[in-house]
Amino acid sequence: MSGFRFYRPDTLAQLLERKQKEGRRARILDGGSNVLVYVKEGTIEGGTLVDVRRLKALKGIAVKSGHVEIGAGEVIADIIASPVIRREASFLAEALQQFANPLVRNMATLAGNIADSSPIGDSIPPLLVLEAEVVAAGRQGRRVIPLDRFFTGPGANVLKPSEVILKIRFPVPGKGRGCFLKLGLRRGTSCSVASVAVWTQTKGGAIEEARIALGGVAPTPLRARLTEELLKGRKPDPELLERVAGRVQHEISPISDVRASAEYRRQVTAKLLAKALRHTLRLEE
Amino acid sequence: MSREYSVIGKRLPGVDEKDKVLGSTVFADDFSLPGMLHAKVFRATKASARLKRLDVSKARALPGVACVLTAEDVPNNESVKNVVGQTTEVGLLEAKHQVLVRERVRYWGEPVALVAAETPKIAMEALKAIEVDYEELPGVFDPLEAMKPSAPKIHGDNNVIASWKLRKGDVAKGFAEADVIVENTYRTPRQEHAHIEPESGVAWVDDSGVVTVRYAAQVIEHYRDIATVLGIPESRVRIIGTLIGGGFGGKEDVTVEVFLALLAWKTGRPVKLTFTREEMGYGRHKRHPYVLKFKTGAKKDGTLTALEAEVVSDAGAYVYLSPWVLIYSTVHSTGPYLIPNVKVDAYSVLTNNIMTSAFRGFGGMQMAVAYEAQMDELALRLGMDPLELRKKNFLKTGDVTASYQEITSQVRLEECARKALEALGPNSQPSSAHAKVGRGFACCWQSYGRMTYLHDTSNCWVNLEMDGSAVVRSGIPDLGGGQRESIRAIVAEVLGLKVQEVQVISTDSQVTPLAGTVTATRALYMSGNAAKLAAESVRRIIAEQAAEMLGARPEDLELRDKTVFCREEPGKKLALTEVIKQCLFRGRIPQALETFRAPFTEPITSDVIKDPVFPDFTFGAQAAEVEVDTETGQVKVLKWATAYDVGKAINLNRVEGQMEGGAAQGLGFGLMEDYLESDGLPLTWNLHDYLIPTSKDMPDIRCIVIESESGKGPYGAKGIGEPAIGAAAPALASAVRDAIGVRITHLPITPERVFFALQGKGGAA
Amino acid sequence: MAKTELYDITIKVNDRTVSARIPAETTLLDFLRDQGFIEVKRGCDKGDCGACTVIMDGKAILSCITLALQADGASVYTVKSLGTPQRLHPLQKAFVELEALQCGFCTPGMLLSAKALLDSNPHPTRSEIREAISGNLCRCTGYQKIVDAIEAVSKGAYR
Repeated sequence: MSGFRFYRPDTLAQLLERKQKEGRRARILDGGSNVLVYVKEGTIEGGTLVDVRRLKALKGIAVKSGHVEIGAGEVIADIIASPVIRREASFLAEALQQFANPLVRNMATLAGNIADSSPIGDSIPPLLVLEAEVVAAGRQGRRVIPLDRFFTGPGANVLKPSEVILKIRFPVPGKGRGCFLKLGLRRGTSCSVASVAVWTQTKGGAIEEARIALGGVAPTPLRARLTEELLKGRKPDPELLERVAGRVQHEISPISDVRASAEYRRQVTAKLLAKALRHTLRLEE
Repeated sequence: MSREYSVIGKRLPGVDEKDKVLGSTVFADDFSLPGMLHAKVFRATKASARLKRLDVSKARALPGVACVLTAEDVPNNESVKNVVGQTTEVGLLEAKHQVLVRERVRYWGEPVALVAAETPKIAMEALKAIEVDYEELPGVFDPLEAMKPSAPKIHGDNNVIASWKLRKGDVAKGFAEADVIVENTYRTPRQEHAHIEPESGVAWVDDSGVVTVRYAAQVIEHYRDIATVLGIPESRVRIIGTLIGGGFGGKEDVTVEVFLALLAWKTGRPVKLTFTREEMGYGRHKRHPYVLKFKTGAKKDGTLTALEAEVVSDAGAYVYLSPWVLIYSTVHSTGPYLIPNVKVDAYSVLTNNIMTSAFRGFGGMQMAVAYEAQMDELALRLGMDPLELRKKNFLKTGDVTASYQEITSQVRLEECARKALEALGPNSQPSSAHAKVGRGFACCWQSYGRMTYLHDTSNCWVNLEMDGSAVVRSGIPDLGGGQRESIRAIVAEVLGLKVQEVQVISTDSQVTPLAGTVTATRALYMSGNAAKLAAESVRRIIAEQAAEMLGARPEDLELRDKTVFCREEPGKKLALTEVIKQCLFRGRIPQALETFRAPFTEPITSDVIKDPVFPDFTFGAQAAEVEVDTETGQVKVLKWATAYDVGKAINLNRVEGQMEGGAAQGLGFGLMEDYLESDGLPLTWNLHDYLIPTSKDMPDIRCIVIESESGKGPYGAKGIGEPAIGAAAPALASAVRDAIGVRITHLPITPERVFFALQGKGGAA
Repeated sequence: MAKTELYDITIKVNDRTVSARIPAETTLLDFLRDQGFIEVKRGCDKGDCGACTVIMDGKAILSCITLALQADGASVYTVKSLGTPQRLHPLQKAFVELEALQCGFCTPGMLLSAKALLDSNPHPTRSEIREAISGNLCRCTGYQKIVDAIEAVSKGAYR
């Protein structure tokens, strides 16, 4: 742990300039809850620690042009408490309540969780079913990356070395219902063994829209699009959920690790999905 | 029935509480001295290997590095731990512990070298500059495998480091008489102490050349181990014990003190060493995991007829206290039940896994997982109420156990179990169609006081000041369990003082009379009795003097509120200060140093345990209500109750604190804690991967304190520290069994184990 | 070894200004303990145990995974800001009276999480209390008396 430098940009332009110069050696620290752990573990050796905690350009939670926009620098506790989020996307607030614990929620950001790109980042499945996009900025300008195309592998994503996440945005959700379930090995803070987020909209008794996102059961968090197809246009009933639960097991590739076996992850994902769908489709518990 | 005491039995805030909430307490790592160096330990990254090459020259040459020590630099690097009473027939009596690896590496994380540098950062750089080559050797990681003659040997020529037996009656006859026989194999996890304060300390050589170590110690008598390693007289080593941020047995064996003493002694400068959380994971001992094969038989009416059991523990790479832990297991294996025919064979086996040694319960609590599960299964097979079944078999005062020890104190198990179950209140309804609610309870017994063949003693010195306040000196360490508290209360009670008027100085091996370890649930029993003896001796001096002055008999006098008065004629009185003044004038100093001696028995000479081993036992029960999500296997603990006969609660808050803390630690053991290794490679070495209960994992705990006043501790107290954990995991397992109809025999009860048990894979009926 | 670059930092700790020159990777916990605020404890150094909890910008945070330089110019409060020996904070009184601590190592962090809770939610349910302290691990107490103490204060006791 030697040879680190510190830099606090006052403006977005300064931040982007530094990233342009140093690429991945310039580590963005907002909450710092991931980066600092890597520094201590020695996984990151040297480079510049870039403090963006006070950068105004990364702050703000607002509705703009039909999108809810959350600045990269907003901590999860503030997102949960935001009147905008409570009004426009209460599902996200509920989902984020399950994130780690209050101390971590006071520090961690969505951008940090997304940039860390862990298959078990708990903010990601809810954002995936909200069809979130990452707005990234580099010296060349901005680009919008759909979240479901953001991750390339465990800990890996499409961000260029000179890019930073500016904000996360998603279309103002319509009249649907969402549910996020994470399965950990204790009720307190725990890494998800598997997680499921679901968003459904019904019309005239049939499922108009169904979005399913899964965490911890593939190299990246993912939308289970093939399974979603099974739901569209159908009437919700227990038999449908059975089939859906069976189908989703084929869209995932879980591994065995200290926390759980691949087989358990496979089967329990199906159960979690059924549970989440029962909730959003208001079926008997 | 119970006497009214002025101090004993109340809820009194502790001596140290205020400092702790203000943040003023100076824990081990909070202390620094000018010119202090920072130490780091260089550890092996192989589980079984030969050290081929170790080159510390580059590390030594780094600017800011004061010294780098290897095995060559340690005057007595290998020490021999003989376990008194272990049979010569089995295993190795002598297994050499090494301070630093000289040639053989036996576990991943074993200390190889020590570094002391000007800053922690430089010390870390020095670690990186150490060059090492290993030749990997075959290792063995499963104790059952390690028992085989073909297994690689960890030390000497036999991996079975200890073996003990129980033999009573004739189990073949017993099983023939049984109407029902239940046979199961249980597995318990390797539990990590996970105290929040890491092992830590500072050492220096004082101006008279005494090597002094101020550290978080459960055993200040380790100055003897330091003296042995350094090759200096024991009188030249001093240990100052800090208030400890949690021990549970994790700070009982040697931790940082030998390393610190070596570095301070070699450099002549103060040195600090604090383990990282990761080092606490892969470098510190754990609880013995057990494989427990139990076969229990009972008649139709529930009377137990026979127990046959084989228990095997993983002793890890070094012996440490494994043989003693195994004695506890053997003695406690029957559970608190009278069984006419018993055959138990217990083995502790070396492997290349992390060392295992002392942890709250010390081999006794793992047995409860098996013996209580067996009782539940028998009850189910017999169609009997599980408490009724147990009532038929509970030990009673006067009964003799299968290890041939007579129960001399009261056994209030029926009351404990009944009250714990009642305290759960009305049954909760399942929260959904996929949830199942279940209830269970478990009983346990656990000894208090060390094994009697160790001839345990505890010393205490009490002095009355001229103004009637008192000073007590006791070597007893304080882990936060109220060890000093109890001494204060006892001395205050005997001398008729308020607790604020009693000052306790503790935990300094050269200043305070040695009171022994805080282990084996002995602190209250031993140091409390010693304090009582010393206070009573001082009281005698006062009473004799006052008797002369009042023209009364000493036995007629009372001490209260700094007054000495005749019980029958309260008007006949003297101020305590007056009496003290006269004592001093006559050279009768109101001070006393007393030694409390536990019962002394002979060493165990055979591997069949057939003599009393412990002073006494504590009996208790816990009850739990859980909800199981049958879709995921997750277990939510809804309600909890714990009920123990503590003999006498010196301080009610403290006793409840032990019971609640023990319940939580036991719940963790049963539900989520498992220190995992893969072929000796550590997997769960931090608090991110090794999970202990958070506030969200614990339900509200109802605490029922029963006082039979039949214990051997002061005022009839028994011990509670270790007993408090024993019945927890079994109660949890019982509740889960009730909820889902399948018994999980492999702890911890993870969602995955429940999930597959519900599918009929794994578990037992 | 190359010379380490040092940076100026000024933090108000318990309303007292503290300045130093520190390496970039210094955590807030390192800084506080090096400056003598030993009441902020190091339990794991990775954000898993909560012993290092302090209050910054009105929020309870983990100082071991906060970069000290990020707190430059900020106001940080440790447990010593809660009360004095002559005047304990109600939470401190409650913890002592109800024995909501044993070894005391988790206590500074626990008290600050409790304070942060009551500052934002003066009448929490027991479930909300458990949630609020779920980032603070305790190995001694089983949390029972801690929850009782916080609830008692929220109901007006010990004031």
